[in-house]
Amino acid sequence: MIHIQNLHKRFGDLEVLKGIDLHVRPGEVVCIIGPSGSGKSTVLRCINRLEEPSSGTIVVDGHDIMAKKTNINLVRTEAGMVFQQFNLFPHMKVLANVSLGPIKVRKMPKDEANTLARNLLAKVGLASKADNYPEQLSGGQKQRVAIARALALQPKVILFDEPTSALDPELVGEVLEVMRRLAREGMTMVVVTHEMGFAKEVADRVIFIDNGLIQEEGPPKEFFGNPKNPRLRSFLRTVTAA
Amino acid sequence: MAFQFEPAIVLETFPMLVRGLKLTVQITVGGLFFGFLLGSAAGLMKISRNMLVRLLSGAYIESIRGTPMLVQAMFLYYGVPLAVGVRIAPITAGIIIIAVNSGAYIAEIVRGAVQSINPGQMEAGRSIGLTRSQAMFYVIWPQALKRMIPPLGNQFIISLKDTSLLMVIGVGELMRTGQEITAVNFRAFEVYMAVGLVYLAMTMTIAKLMAMVEKRLSVSRR
Repeated sequence: MIHIQNLHKRFGDLEVLKGIDLHVRPGEVVCIIGPSGSGKSTVLRCINRLEEPSSGTIVVDGHDIMAKKTNINLVRTEAGMVFQQFNLFPHMKVLANVSLGPIKVRKMPKDEANTLARNLLAKVGLASKADNYPEQLSGGQKQRVAIARALALQPKVILFDEPTSALDPELVGEVLEVMRRLAREGMTMVVVTHEMGFAKEVADRVIFIDNGLIQEEGPPKEFFGNPKNPRLRSFLRTVTAA
Repeated sequence: MAFQFEPAIVLETFPMLVRGLKLTVQITVGGLFFGFLLGSAAGLMKISRNMLVRLLSGAYIESIRGTPMLVQAMFLYYGVPLAVGVRIAPITAGIIIIAVNSGAYIAEIVRGAVQSINPGQMEAGRSIGLTRSQAMFYVIWPQALKRMIPPLGNQFIISLKDTSLLMVIGVGELMRTGQEITAVNFRAFEVYMAVGLVYLAMTMTIAKLMAMVEKRLSVSRR
């Protein structure tokens, strides 16, 4: 589904990614963890070219996203994105937030798009909020709308960029629950997260990125049970101590 | 001869100003309409990814902001026809001058408002597959428009008052009408007081209208 080879990204003199190789199979849930500034969000943002990779190849669903002839707008519809800060459109009602993509990008008739949007809102438990504005929602509700918005394009994979980091602790659960359900339904997901519990329970594979490189990866049982990399060990100690 | 203020003359002046007032309104509305279009285009061009487009818009904004409107008016009305060989009617010239002049300032208002929108909004728009221009039109612009309202109101008021400068190119607007009246009755105190009151009434109307628009937009959320 996603094939990343030798991905480099530098911001000026700072090399954030120093050669990442990552392959995600259809239906797989991959969680990326690592200290802040390690480059884990940058990997995610490169996958739909919100960030321009400095070098390397990225293939999403068979499309080489670095190729000139690739329509990046269409590739982005195959890889939905959920942001830490939600980034809902504050001037539109919840329903319009979700149906905008299908209407403008998929050229879906408005009625059909609204029906789709209502179904997706029901799926994330927010059918009753369709006619509210985003600012009337709690953080957890906003993030669930953002997930519905990403789902509306019927993407093949969803990229989650620290989806619960901006939430009050008591609102984290409802968002993780929606993500858990998506994972069970077979959605391919790449999740940058600090929620070790979620990674342990839901991920098929966990990846530890530090210093711009993948330092360790494996199924959660091994990854958390028997970490080999010393940096990962100390990282896990600090996270679980907190 | 001691000066004697005659309130009656102020009142008598008002009906004589109607013709000039009409022209002032016409030129202001027409000029600001095109000024907003021009300013929106120039403001968006100023943040284009194409350097040539940015330079073009920057040159327009700087040259207009950096020169007095009086000079611009004289140049367009007296200077340009000599070079091109076509005379422009004073009213048309007036509308063009207000449009071009206000456009430069509105461009900066537009640029500032668009740039003040959180970059996450553009990213979210792009992430659902919108093109850059679609995201600008459906996501950024409506939010930016709301932030433009207060500075736009300010610019509308400035441009309205600036139409008085058009008297130098023979536009019979409000100010010039007042001047013509004083040339006959020599009551500069009363006549210009009346003229000033009419301008004040118009600028207060604009301020009120903009406040209403602002309120309406805030009801429909950010």
